[in-house]
Amino acid sequence: MTPMFLLMLAGSMAVPAVALWALRWAMRHGEFAMQERAALLPFDEEEPVGRATDIILNQRTANR
Amino acid sequence: MSVPSKTLSALMPGDVSSGDGRKALLAEIDASCRVPVLFFVCSGLAWLLLGTLLALVTSIKLHHPGFLASWEFLTFGRVRPAHLNTVIYGWSSQAGIGVTLWLMCRLCRVPFIAPGLATVAAVFWNIGLTVGTIGILAGDSTAIEWLEMPRYATPILFVSYALIAVWSVITFRLRAERHLYVSQWYLLAALLWFPWLYATAQIMLVMEPVRGTVQAAVNWWFAHNVLGLWFTPIGLGAIYYFIPKVIGRPIHSYYLSVLGFWSLALFYNWNGLHHLIGGPLPAWMITVSIVASVMMLVPVTVVAINHHFTMWGHFAKLWHSPTLRFVVLGAVCYTLTSLQGIANSLRSYSEVVHFTHHTVAHAHLGVYGFFTMVMFGSLYYVLPRITCREWPCLGLVSIHFWACALGLFLYVVPLSIGGFLQGLAMNDASVPFLKVVEGTLPWLKLRTLAGLLLGLGHVAFVANVAWMLARVFGPYRRPVVALLTGVETPAVVGK
Repeated sequence: MTPMFLLMLAGSMAVPAVALWALRWAMRHGEFAMQERAALLPFDEEEPVGRATDIILNQRTANR
Repeated sequence: MSVPSKTLSALMPGDVSSGDGRKALLAEIDASCRVPVLFFVCSGLAWLLLGTLLALVTSIKLHHPGFLASWEFLTFGRVRPAHLNTVIYGWSSQAGIGVTLWLMCRLCRVPFIAPGLATVAAVFWNIGLTVGTIGILAGDSTAIEWLEMPRYATPILFVSYALIAVWSVITFRLRAERHLYVSQWYLLAALLWFPWLYATAQIMLVMEPVRGTVQAAVNWWFAHNVLGLWFTPIGLGAIYYFIPKVIGRPIHSYYLSVLGFWSLALFYNWNGLHHLIGGPLPAWMITVSIVASVMMLVPVTVVAINHHFTMWGHFAKLWHSPTLRFVVLGAVCYTLTSLQGIANSLRSYSEVVHFTHHTVAHAHLGVYGFFTMVMFGSLYYVLPRITCREWPCLGLVSIHFWACALGLFLYVVPLSIGGFLQGLAMNDASVPFLKVVEGTLPWLKLRTLAGLLLGLGHVAFVANVAWMLARVFGPYRRPVVALLTGVETPAVVGK
């Protein structure tokens, strides 16, 4: 076994390990529990839910 | 890496919950992203134009082999990999990184930390690409698909990527919004997966090549996963942000979006070996890959349902938002290319379409129809905000969309049909091979026509971006991000 092979083996084991760690981290930090709040993260007071953005084409009919 | 205390204090979660603080922060975030994101995007667009030109030359050569054949650096064996590498690493990756940087800052609620670091990374990335592309055209290609750049170019790219990875870890650690949105899961995963894929493939195929058929296995594991674990998560992360943002409605089911992410992470990595059906590999390896490919029905269906029901009742907005047009088209193409990929992975179907132009159509439906369309849509949203300028010509926006959409249709549909017929003919021993080749010519000519349309769309987009940037350096005008929301934002950016 060459050192490079061992490096590849370690790398291949590290990626699923990181994935498992991320899953555990997500569960411990409530990432799967507060889903309604998470769904609202792209919005804020400046661009709240209900306000469309990027309406720039065919503006004559945009407000109908 | 030091961060100004003023910046850090502005990043505390308590601050972003107040209305005024959040408003100021959004504008601050957009302004802070300007230099690094523009660098990645503009250089990506330059590579897109070069890649399109190389694609046209390649396409013409397929039905007129004598075209530009007197220059060795323009022979098919050099131009085709040069096209692939310029659009994959030059355009797609740089546009993806640019959009990722902006999305990460927006969703982490922090201004761009260490923009100099990211700008240096962009410089290195372009140096590496330039060296690599010249190397390919000069005949130094490694001849390994998707990894054609010579070995002296790739370390430069890796240095660049390492800087981006360092930046993303710092930004994630300093995030002000503690909860993660699904887009961040996708983006962070992409940033983790790409170096793993690229380093593994470089070591096992270029630096210390493995032997025999294992090379093919590693090659297709890498090539397939660049699309599935690098471009796909960035594209899906962008879709999950921009569709809700543009229509002003949260994602239909956040639960489904999380399920989609974890099922993609679980199944996609196994898919690549279905490209080697019929090859000299153990049958169980191919079978595992086919099973995993079919299991991709889970994330694909979940994503398709989620996007469709989020858009439900808002389809009329497609007429008014360029971002939505491109992103929704990209989302539809994601579903289509994934379903097509699942079909291609089945042994009985692969026996027909393997080694035909059908596979080329499939790859373009994925990388272009899905990823590039989503990137175009994302840039229509991001660029006005970071430059604080409107799109100067809405006509060019329409030309861009319709030329690209029509070009995509004209590329994928005829080539899929032509490729399927080509496969049937090749499997018929009574048909001479020359007849099979002649039968592909009409489809290949249509492909060149499609390429011209795509090129027209790209030129329109680049012209619009250049015009917008010229206005950034021109006389100051009242901020007009109003075009995006109907409400003028304070003049806090730039000038």
